Amino acid sequence: MSGQVPANAFGQQCSLTLSGNVLDKGTNIPLHFSNVYIQEAEVGMVTDSLGNFQFRNLCAGKYHIEISHIGCEPELYYFQLARDTVLKIYLHHHAELLDEVVVHGHREDNTSQASATISAEVIAKEGNKTLTDLLENITGVSSLKNGSGISKPVIHGLFGNRVAILNNGVAQAGQQWGNDHAPEIDPFSANHLSVVKGASALAYPGNSLGSVVLVEAGDFEEDPHLQGNVNYIFQTNGRGHSLNTKLEQNADWAAWRVTGTYKKRGDTHTPNYFLTNTGNQETNFSTQLKKQFSTRWKSNLYYSLFNTEIGILRGSHIGNLTDLDRALNSKLPFYTEEKFSYNINAPRQRVKHHLLKFESKYFLSENAALNFKYGGQLNNRKEFDVRRGGRTDTPALHLNQYQHFFETVFNQEYRNGMLLKSGVQFNLVDNGNIPGTGILPLIPNYLSYQPSGFVILRKEAKKWFWEAGGRYDMKIYDVTAISNSIPRVFEYFDHQFHNYAFSGGVKYKFSKSLKASLNLGQMLRAPEINELYSAGLHQGVSGIEEGSRDLVPEMSTKLVGSVDWFFRKKLFIQALGYYQNIDDFIYLQPQSDFRLTIRGAFPVFKYEQTNATIYGTDWQLTFEPTQRLKIVNKYSLVRGVDRTQNLPLINIPADNLSSAWQYNFKSSDRFKNPFFSLSGKYVRRQNRLEEEQDFAPTPDEYFLLNASIGTSVSIGHSSFDIGISGENLLNTAYRDYLNRLRYFADDLGRNVSLRVNWKFGG
Amino acid sequence: MKSIKFLYLLAFGLFIFASCNDDPVIENQEEVITDLVVTLTPTDGGDSKTLIFNDDDGDGGNAPSIVGTSLAPNTTYDAVIVVSGFEEGEDEKEDITIEILAEADEHQFFFQATGLSIDFEYADTDSANRPIGQQFRLITREAGSGTVLVTLLHEPTKDAAGVADGDITNAAGETDVAVTFPVTVE
Repeated sequence: MSGQVPANAFGQQCSLTLSGNVLDKGTNIPLHFSNVYIQEAEVGMVTDSLGNFQFRNLCAGKYHIEISHIGCEPELYYFQLARDTVLKIYLHHHAELLDEVVVHGHREDNTSQASATISAEVIAKEGNKTLTDLLENITGVSSLKNGSGISKPVIHGLFGNRVAILNNGVAQAGQQWGNDHAPEIDPFSANHLSVVKGASALAYPGNSLGSVVLVEAGDFEEDPHLQGNVNYIFQTNGRGHSLNTKLEQNADWAAWRVTGTYKKRGDTHTPNYFLTNTGNQETNFSTQLKKQFSTRWKSNLYYSLFNTEIGILRGSHIGNLTDLDRALNSKLPFYTEEKFSYNINAPRQRVKHHLLKFESKYFLSENAALNFKYGGQLNNRKEFDVRRGGRTDTPALHLNQYQHFFETVFNQEYRNGMLLKSGVQFNLVDNGNIPGTGILPLIPNYLSYQPSGFVILRKEAKKWFWEAGGRYDMKIYDVTAISNSIPRVFEYFDHQFHNYAFSGGVKYKFSKSLKASLNLGQMLRAPEINELYSAGLHQGVSGIEEGSRDLVPEMSTKLVGSVDWFFRKKLFIQALGYYQNIDDFIYLQPQSDFRLTIRGAFPVFKYEQTNATIYGTDWQLTFEPTQRLKIVNKYSLVRGVDRTQNLPLINIPADNLSSAWQYNFKSSDRFKNPFFSLSGKYVRRQNRLEEEQDFAPTPDEYFLLNASIGTSVSIGHSSFDIGISGENLLNTAYRDYLNRLRYFADDLGRNVSLRVNWKFGG
Repeated sequence: MKSIKFLYLLAFGLFIFASCNDDPVIENQEEVITDLVVTLTPTDGGDSKTLIFNDDDGDGGNAPSIVGTSLAPNTTYDAVIVVSGFEEGEDEKEDITIEILAEADEHQFFFQATGLSIDFEYADTDSANRPIGQQFRLITREAGSGTVLVTLLHEPTKDAAGVADGDITNAAGETDVAVTFPVTVE
């Protein structure tokens, strides 16, 4: 098949051939019946059964080529044609099968560890949600919430201090004490989000016991023209508005990108009542600058600001266990208002997070490169409680955390397919309480220094991919605490921990449609400052939380195995299983005696250590009976056991199953990729818990029904992506085990979102 | 390895410039109530009795001291509550009752006897004519021994059912004080 082009289009020598093939990025399967259209030449054709296309008699010049296929977001490529050219073009036909290696496309980042990715298309559609909500689209990821505005990802049963979040390669600092702190990242600032479900995290700084979340701003397109998009999403529940805009250009002097986001939402509602004081507001900004100084040297500068104010359900603010008991027995949450409001009152949080990153890469030779990175972060967190005597506007907690991170990585590729990646890192954290709260701080002031080094060896040989490596961290804390007896004095402590990690992995391609991988890793995690030094009443748990200064690092040994199997372009199965032993697992143990205070008797929870085992499985099954219909099913199961006490672990996600059916209608000239999708999610009751391990019985099982409809509309060089989607369409009243607000209120009722995305330029 | 040394130097250099957390300060916990004293004076005259709670170091540290009392049967007592804490540093205690009375519409005391036959009546009101409970009457019946629980709620829903009569069930709010005193009636 070939398309003929008028020979005199540019009045030049017009005998060049452009050929290529179109493949699915997730599976490498050729996409036949793809539409390929060259805008400048005004010619188009449809790919054959092997995904091939060929245009003859093209003139030399600059072209934009548009490729579209049923159920894929159309892609626009820019290229300069100077000689006969063969292009390989990837579309996201199976976005649910994409992984980090494929999306990122850097060979040096290739790994045997399993990962999954949320692509730019999904972020554009659901960017009004939190980062964690978006990550929940990935099998095996749940979220631990304190209402709808505050959530953190739970991956393979672990969260918080045990899951590293890397924002553009820099470990997200932020204050991770307690379950009521969320990662301070705007999903709109990212090009893609990935979850590495690993056995070990060797190259990454930050705490992790295997799993890592990657937030990536992404590379620039080749296109030298100014391009951008404007994204607006309205949601009925909470009457929320999200406006995001992105501008970028790969100009001659440098490539630059700017994004800005504004979000405002008021009180959300359950099927039956408003959740008073659950609004939030966000103003975010990010900018990126990339400069290629020479063929050997390029640098990248990135800055982002995340700025949020979040209201916390008024009825969830309690003083002691009696209050909790009264709240549990109340039909409606206390303080529920009958009217909607955008007002945010105490209890509330205000968080500002700055991130500045500078990265410079220098190629020593064709096969060796040196990469230097600096990441600086400032996290300012204020928490406001309902207080007496006009102190409600004085923060009850006010912290500043500075973090400086330095990294030098050396990559060398050898002729025999061996790749060496090694690096040294230094991380410094300075955490300080800002005076004036009138409350003794929960977390003391401290400095932490962490020098680290790692080496990873990778080898690719035909069907095999091997990797092995090690890492060492030294972590030093200098702590200034305040005594808990009077007269109050400063007490100084220091700690030094040595952590190591080893891991090995192998990936084997049995055939084009079957591959398997196995990873084994062992790593240590030093106790965090809250585990060592928490002292005082934690509103979130209605108890007194006490750190233990003699904790030792946790030691995790994790085995992860995964299989990807494709059957005749119709059935795609991804199965993953893991088994993790954590010795000296740090957890909050309720103490036998209660602590008597002026506000009554409180249970005391102390950080202690035990031996734990977590295991589970993630399944994803995609079935494509016809070209137009795609069914994606996901199932995940996690079990957690305290082996020493023979008790289940708390905060382990309940078994869940989801199924999404998407039907793609025929595209017309104006309307591209119209679709309708219907999806359901079933979450079982978490019944693996002893009665005395919780304040209230775990919530019942629930089922949520969602639907969505959308299309792209092309007008000139611009394209509008519009859609309507509905969540919890049956308006089911439910509570989720991992949401702390379940003690007080139902979860969100029906929500309908309307979105318009305008892409321009290019 | 020279470059690495240089990086470390640079790290410390930047740290000196950019880490500007102030020295820590020992916060003055002016909100924390360390003392609660209930003075009970028989309406018909006679010696007054006191219920005393004291915990100078707050939630942690040493356990609080709680001193109950013995009351006469079939007697009515006029009761007054005084709460105090370290408003101005650790040298001197200040009366927090004033702060509570200034926000009387946002505060209410509740009383509950266990194992004893005692009635409680509010003897004061806020600007909206709803009880506060800083002043109340305690009426003993037959002899016995048990406990009296004194609760102070911040931001209770004062107009919820039963709250004006001293029933805490629907009062919402969060607990600022909840102290149980041993009491005998003999």
